[in-house]
Amino acid sequence: MPQKERIIKILTTAVVVSLVFQIAAVHRDKVEAAPATARAAAAAPDPKPADASDPHAVLGAAADALGMLRQAAFSPGRTPRLDVINTVEFWAGGTPFTEYHAALVYNPPGMRVEFTNPNGNPQHAIEVVSGKYAWNESQIGGGLEPGRGAATPEMMAEKERLLRLWILPYGVVKAGLAARDKAKVSSENGMTVVTFPLTGELDGVTVKATLDAKNLVSRVVTQGPGNLSTETQYSDFADRSEIPTNVIFPGHIVRKRDGKVVLDLQIKMVDTNNPYLVVPVPDSIRKVSSN
Amino acid sequence: MDRLMRRGMLAVAVGACLLSAVAIAQEAQQGPQAQQGQMQRQMPLPKDIIKQAKMAPTPKAPDGHPDLSGLWNGYFGDPLVGNRNQLSNAGIQEISTDTTEDIYSGAMIATFPPDGKRRNSQDGERGNTLLRRMGSNKPIYKPEYWDRVQKFDANSNELDGAYHCMAAGVPRIGVPSQISQTANTIVFVYPGQGGLLATQATYRVIPTDGREHTKLDNLDGTYNGEGIGHWEGDTLIVDTIGFNSSTYLDQVGGYFHSENMHVIERFRREGNTLTWQATIEDPDVLLKPWTTNERVVVLNPNPKAVLAESMPCSERDFAHAVTNEHH
Repeated sequence: MPQKERIIKILTTAVVVSLVFQIAAVHRDKVEAAPATARAAAAAPDPKPADASDPHAVLGAAADALGMLRQAAFSPGRTPRLDVINTVEFWAGGTPFTEYHAALVYNPPGMRVEFTNPNGNPQHAIEVVSGKYAWNESQIGGGLEPGRGAATPEMMAEKERLLRLWILPYGVVKAGLAARDKAKVSSENGMTVVTFPLTGELDGVTVKATLDAKNLVSRVVTQGPGNLSTETQYSDFADRSEIPTNVIFPGHIVRKRDGKVVLDLQIKMVDTNNPYLVVPVPDSIRKVSSN
Repeated sequence: MDRLMRRGMLAVAVGACLLSAVAIAQEAQQGPQAQQGQMQRQMPLPKDIIKQAKMAPTPKAPDGHPDLSGLWNGYFGDPLVGNRNQLSNAGIQEISTDTTEDIYSGAMIATFPPDGKRRNSQDGERGNTLLRRMGSNKPIYKPEYWDRVQKFDANSNELDGAYHCMAAGVPRIGVPSQISQTANTIVFVYPGQGGLLATQATYRVIPTDGREHTKLDNLDGTYNGEGIGHWEGDTLIVDTIGFNSSTYLDQVGGYFHSENMHVIERFRREGNTLTWQATIEDPDVLLKPWTTNERVVVLNPNPKAVLAESMPCSERDFAHAVTNEHH
């Protein structure tokens, strides 16, 4: 073989070997960059977190399953996932309420529920809570402006209304994470259970939340004084927003008190796309409550 | 000679292969997490950059007031979009690598490390939509306008003029990128958002000579209004009236306003930082005045830096938007 051809052959071999290494590297990069879920699914089909005894990890898995986390970009290299759920609105119907419309805010905590109960007294009401204030509105935003409806104080209902906010699946995750080392994880009948105390206005109430196999909050039991002891079942989770957000919300909510069903709702529509929801406290309510 | 040459060629080729293999092995050993960790170690927290920048002396103008002149685009990019020390305009601030807070309410936001998942454009845009609206500091509109705000927000890609090359307007334009200060006039320059979002570059000339506002009835409503400046101690106050009603108060949120809006901006220089905050009074639509979250920008560390020419605004993104709400 002439010398020139030999040199070309040697160089060609070297280039081919080098290319093989490069292709292998690209393939490895692709595998590592593949969706973590796909890789995790192959390695561990069970969606439960690696450390099932760590409340932060368990509640993080629940937040992830509910679609509460989104990756932020503060600056290059700083891209944590944050809990983006602050405002949620949903529409439902069932027993005893034929129409049930809830608008809730977690920061600062507040909730407005408008319902129709054909057998109730009243048959129609708008119940509102914001921080330490609770009141009823004669119309949405009643009492905030002269000539636009009225606001009637309902301070005795404040704790029960706040509890509704915190026992929804998102509220459970938020309150559980806020409880930090007071949150405990256990297992009951093969299901993961997180137990933690509520604080602030709901001091004295404990929450026991059961996660299903997909880490979704499926059952919440509260223990507290009076009507603050409840049991709520959540099922049929899906992204129910008109604008899809990958935020998951239950399709069926059943609440019991003393073993008796007090609320059975089928969810019709949800807006988890951070709707503009505010719960300002009317001046008249602040004045009455401070007296 | 020939043999030596062949051996030399062979040695070079084998060496190249070995170097490739070693480099790949090292990279594999480190992995993407290690590389990300290195990047995180290299990037100081914005709050630490601000703290450091505040320690510099505050230059004074000949009249004794702080000299705000300078190029205020250091570290955090375009002030209009929002500063990297906060999450867009939501007022969500990174405290440490695993702690985030709402700077308005002080509420801690649950924070987890990145999961490495890749997301498509729609997921990314909707993620940003959620992230930029999660803060608690929102203008409180009169109840009859709550639905309107929600509608404007949910359809802002279509309804927001700034997304179609119209001016962002005051107060949405936020912190100027360049300030030139003289005894009786301050000039603010806003480069617009260039290729990121389609908004116009604009400027404001603010008299600080003690004059009063033109009567509102005699003003034609404009995007930036009539701004008049004065000093309260070391803080520059820019008081602006005379707006049209074509703009929103903030980058996201559908926060509309009326022609009777009154904006009071506060500019405070500390060392090489500039803190901006605006209070919006609009009794036609707001229940009470709204004060934005503070934004802090840092002086460009390069004394020879100049403001780059803004790209002409030519809206070409809307046809490709996969969601209708601003992200």
